Amino acid sequence: MDSSTIKIMRFLFSVLIIALLSAGAEFLLPWWSCAVVCFLVALFARQSGGRAFLIGFLGVGIFWLVAALLHDVANEHILSTRMAALFKLPNYWLFILVTVFIGGLVGGMAAWVGATLKPNSIKPSR
Amino acid sequence: MKKIPIKGFVLLVITTMLIYLLDHPLGALPAIGRLLEPVNGCLANAEPVNKNFSADLKLPAVKGGATVWFDNRLVPHIHATNDHDLYFLEGYIHATFRLWQMDMETRAAAGRVSEVVGDKALAFDRKQRYKGMGYAAENSLRAMEADSRTKLIMDAYTEGINAYIGTLNYRNYPFEYKLMGFAPEPYTNLKISLLLKYMADDLTGSTDDIALTYLRDILPRDELELLFPDRIPGSTTVIPPGTVFDKPSLTIPAAPPDSSAFPHFEPADFGEPKVDGKGSNNWILSGSRTASGAPILCNDPHLALNLPSLWYEAQLQAPGINVYGASLPGTPGVVIGFNDSLTWGFTNNYRDVKDFYLIKEVGGNKNKYWFAGKQVDYVKRVEVIKVKGKPDIVDTINYTLHGPVTYAEQNARAGGLRKPLAMCWMGHRPSNEMLAIYLLNKARSYNEFVDAIMHFECPAQNMGYADRQGNIAIWGQGQFVNKWKDQGKYVMNGTDSSTLWKELIPMRENPHSLNPAQGYLCGANQINTDNTYPYNYNGSGWVNLRAWRINDLLKDRQKATVKDMMDMQQDTYSELAAGVLPLMIKYLGDSIKNEHSLINIFKGWNYQLNAEGMEATVFQIWWQYFNSELWHSDAGFSLKGDYLPLQEKTMQILQQNPPQDPNITYKSSLLSASIKSAINVSFRMTADSFIRIKQPDKRPPENREWYKVKNTTISHLTKLPALSYDHVKIGGWGNTINAAKNDHGPSWRMVVQMGKEIEAYGVYPGGQSGNPGSKYYASFLDDWSGGKYYRLDFMPNADKQSDSAIKYTWTVQP
Repeated sequence: MDSSTIKIMRFLFSVLIIALLSAGAEFLLPWWSCAVVCFLVALFARQSGGRAFLIGFLGVGIFWLVAALLHDVANEHILSTRMAALFKLPNYWLFILVTVFIGGLVGGMAAWVGATLKPNSIKPSR
Repeated sequence: MKKIPIKGFVLLVITTMLIYLLDHPLGALPAIGRLLEPVNGCLANAEPVNKNFSADLKLPAVKGGATVWFDNRLVPHIHATNDHDLYFLEGYIHATFRLWQMDMETRAAAGRVSEVVGDKALAFDRKQRYKGMGYAAENSLRAMEADSRTKLIMDAYTEGINAYIGTLNYRNYPFEYKLMGFAPEPYTNLKISLLLKYMADDLTGSTDDIALTYLRDILPRDELELLFPDRIPGSTTVIPPGTVFDKPSLTIPAAPPDSSAFPHFEPADFGEPKVDGKGSNNWILSGSRTASGAPILCNDPHLALNLPSLWYEAQLQAPGINVYGASLPGTPGVVIGFNDSLTWGFTNNYRDVKDFYLIKEVGGNKNKYWFAGKQVDYVKRVEVIKVKGKPDIVDTINYTLHGPVTYAEQNARAGGLRKPLAMCWMGHRPSNEMLAIYLLNKARSYNEFVDAIMHFECPAQNMGYADRQGNIAIWGQGQFVNKWKDQGKYVMNGTDSSTLWKELIPMRENPHSLNPAQGYLCGANQINTDNTYPYNYNGSGWVNLRAWRINDLLKDRQKATVKDMMDMQQDTYSELAAGVLPLMIKYLGDSIKNEHSLINIFKGWNYQLNAEGMEATVFQIWWQYFNSELWHSDAGFSLKGDYLPLQEKTMQILQQNPPQDPNITYKSSLLSASIKSAINVSFRMTADSFIRIKQPDKRPPENREWYKVKNTTISHLTKLPALSYDHVKIGGWGNTINAAKNDHGPSWRMVVQMGKEIEAYGVYPGGQSGNPGSKYYASFLDDWSGGKYYRLDFMPNADKQSDSAIKYTWTVQP
């Protein structure tokens, strides 16, 4: 495999790890435990700041999206429609989008922090 | 040496702040991160539409095995082997489906709302404290816990609620806890008592004593009697005329001299607005008037229409009890319903059981007041109101021998009375309505029904009754005081012992009628009796229009069917419109008639306030303008709205002064215009405003439909529109049988035929689940507004059922 494929694989693996660990964490711990997961994963992943943000954003975002959709589809959008109305959003999928964005933002920021604070020894060589 | 990662720390601070902000409420916004996180947040309350509610429950507190069958409307049919388990499970189920509502309603009763919403509820909480709600609930709790039967069911019920609360973590908190950011607290028997007092206050809360005290001074006596009579001429009565009343066992007291009994108010003392009455209909047909030959009872209590609904349907079965009906989440038992022997319904009785006394303070001493020439110490009750995010508020409320000083300097609200008034309320006294409900649920005969309701002291109710033996009855039930004439009709002098409440009337002497010759009975908040009833009483909200209509419809009715009775509950015929509109049109000048074609809208109108009709819109607006034009808006204090004579009285004044009469000279110091001018001016205003009714989509006719203008709204208890339903398509108004007003209306419609087979129907504007994320949240609403009913599935008292309507089953093991 060439190095760019490895990079992509590593990137996707980090996203997947974050999604899975966040899911596990949030079943047991407070909602912001996903941020801790992102921070820790970014600490050990060989990713630069910008890419770490993307990993965190996608990792938590994907998990929140999947979890939200699992609830919402089975619920036929009853609650998401009310929540959208509550936040003055025009429809339920915008509510889901806002949810996913907020989760992603928290995950991305936390991963960025991790990538920036990690020891030099595991920073990607430039 | 490594570089100090400044960028990293800046990012860390920013991220931490972001998480902190998302984890904490901001102003009116809840903690967004916690709320939106999809595993534990609000989406965890998004109930799958095909959720399987069946369960095997291990509940160690249960003494024997039990089963709960949920039918396809999610109505639980609870089958237990003993009373404890039955009421334990009722509590457990109420909590499962309605916990947040029970929490909020009991907080509202106690004046503890600020604790969870902050100081915007402080005025409300204070009002509850000054009314003595906690004092009342504590008094009744003692009475309820002193009786071993009610102690048992209350303990079991509370235990059931707490067993459910014990299973909760944040993920499965009811939705509103997450939205408002607080947590369930343990339930207590005191909360049961508080909720019962909440109902008592709701139903006996309005008072016109203060207004009448002032009107009494400014109006000549004959004028006062004419405009504000206890008994409107032509009133029908709850107890049919001709009923022979028991000889009173008490001596009727003589009234003390006027000067010592009643104080005088100045205009500046004023302004407690009269709260709109809570009406209800209750009529019962004997078998002689029905097609089946079996009696039919119809009841639709008109209460605040909210989501989650006040009512929750349930069937309760255990040895000696099999009852179905509307239960009140937060209290055990079934409040309105039927069992395998009989059925009963409630309407508000409105005999005045709340009086006010003007307190004479001792100058310079905040601890004493004058009574019978002596200085008496107040009993002080300290009320601590917790306020979210703020320090506690501590109020000391003075209790006199009459009751709490409800209107006091510390409690002066905008427009509130500025004199110290103590409230004497039957609801403050210890009573055990819970026992009445418990016995009523088990009653098997008329005598047992009567024995049961002897424990129902406050709020006084007209209790309708029908049984499978063919008996029908109605009782004007409650605990009443043997009063002298007009005692408590006006604010009384609090320094004089002659004004005190003295003897209580034995409740078995309360007015009642069993199997009257007329073959039907009707209670629709009209006056209780004709004047042959021996005891004195006055009312605090009697009305006549619905009662007139019901009597009109029933008096010649033969071979009535259940379907006929359902149709009757949907009736929106306005006795008022029929009584006044032809006269109002006659009074109109020709020039106005020519100028405004709007008047033609009434041609051929049948006086039904139909949902989609525009006649109702024009009439209702015209009538409202007419009243505010006719009656003085500045006779020292505002007569507008709150203290107008009853609309049936205004109707009679119109009828007695017909336009063709050259001497339409009816005069009163309360009139601000002649009838003729008020009618003409108000019609112009109506025509103007009718053009102005909002027409955002430029399709005016639709927006003038009656239901759109009156806007019946089933509002979530938080008042959040996203959780509420507005502009519900339903006709009628408070004075029609189908009394759907803006936020009040038929809260539970029930029609029960007590034949060999019990045929029962019911519907309420809500749904069995209190969860806004459930498809059962408002699932009955459209059928309610559309006048449809559900056949109530009354299952036999057995531990196996073969009913095809059963959808889910709970098997409960200890």
